[in-house]
Amino acid sequence: MATMLSFTSPTTRAAHSSLLPLNFPAQTAPKLAFHRIPNSSSLIFPPISLRPLPKFRADKVRRHQSVVVSALSKLSEAASVAVPPETDAISDVFPSSSGVYAVYDGSDELQFIGISRNIAASVAVHRKSVPQLCSSVKIGVVDDPDRAALTQAWKTWMEEHIAATGKVPLGNESGNNTWVRQPPRKKADLRLTPGRQMKLTVSLEDLIDRLVKETKVVAFIKGSRSAPQCGFSQRVVGILESVGVDYESVDVLDEQYNPGLRETLKKYSNWPTFPQIFVNGELVGGCDILSSMYEKGELADLFKN
Amino acid sequence: MGVSKEQVESSLTAKLSPSHLEVVDVSAGCGAKFTVEIVSEQFEGKRLLERHRMVNAALAEELKEIHALSITKAVTPSQWEQQQASEKTQAAA
Repeated sequence: MATMLSFTSPTTRAAHSSLLPLNFPAQTAPKLAFHRIPNSSSLIFPPISLRPLPKFRADKVRRHQSVVVSALSKLSEAASVAVPPETDAISDVFPSSSGVYAVYDGSDELQFIGISRNIAASVAVHRKSVPQLCSSVKIGVVDDPDRAALTQAWKTWMEEHIAATGKVPLGNESGNNTWVRQPPRKKADLRLTPGRQMKLTVSLEDLIDRLVKETKVVAFIKGSRSAPQCGFSQRVVGILESVGVDYESVDVLDEQYNPGLRETLKKYSNWPTFPQIFVNGELVGGCDILSSMYEKGELADLFKN
Repeated sequence: MGVSKEQVESSLTAKLSPSHLEVVDVSAGCGAKFTVEIVSEQFEGKRLLERHRMVNAALAEELKEIHALSITKAVTPSQWEQQQASEKTQAAA
């Protein structure tokens, strides 16, 4: 503390002296003085604005720290921080630490209480998905990012809000998915047969034929769609996911439920390799063709009809 | 036993008489994975799927040994010229 004061005092003296038109030409002196005036508050709190100690450099850090203390005890006492409209600015205002946060809309109505391991990122996501509901946010940093600690902080705030208003925040009501990012549920891979121990009454060719004709998009891949076991299959799954088309996948390596599929499919489609992508009953091709169509932007058309 | 780059090239040359052909063994010489870039007049008026089928058919024998064949380009000479030209202008830009 002593060093800090001794360091800052000459600076403040300099700032102070510039208020006096000592050696300055008459025109520049008032200008300089004018710019200095806001800083003159630094005379009262010199360390904050003049000493760039890492610990104190961002006064937001201080604010967060003070928020932590009050927030974890009470929601009503946490400072309300306006959400900046620019996504980039959100990380300047909110910390990327873990904790509990409460989102308020423009009329200061509590919309949602959530927990996050990166508050700034979560606020940015909410702001992007439901900007009209994200006016300001109260946060409570939880230093221990343990799930139980986070949940406890969340419970504390929820209970406080419910006790005060008798209501659960709208966004926290069950069935409300406004705030929860639902990861798109990955479909299960299709199985062509009930299992290799069962005798088929129709041929595998017929099963393939019916599947590709009755389903708009089918991808025969190596491995499951959630864990493809070959780079080409992985790429195909990635492309289909990024295009966002609804498709079925069949794991040609699944010998339990798709026994003999690889050889039969190669003959059926007259195509020697996997993956194979069918659209409206027709083979589009493998990874190379799909990639090339994807790069040329031709896939949207392909999936339209 | 894998397939040599030369085998792939000679089969493709014999069956598709390409005006440009580039075969790369991407399996570090063990002959299991290849990428093929091929330009042929025989691709004229054919869809990409059919062109790939032609390449696959030309390599039917080799494919029994090859684990992965990636056809990066299967174009007609005129498409090839266009692509080369646009690549050049892009490089110049």
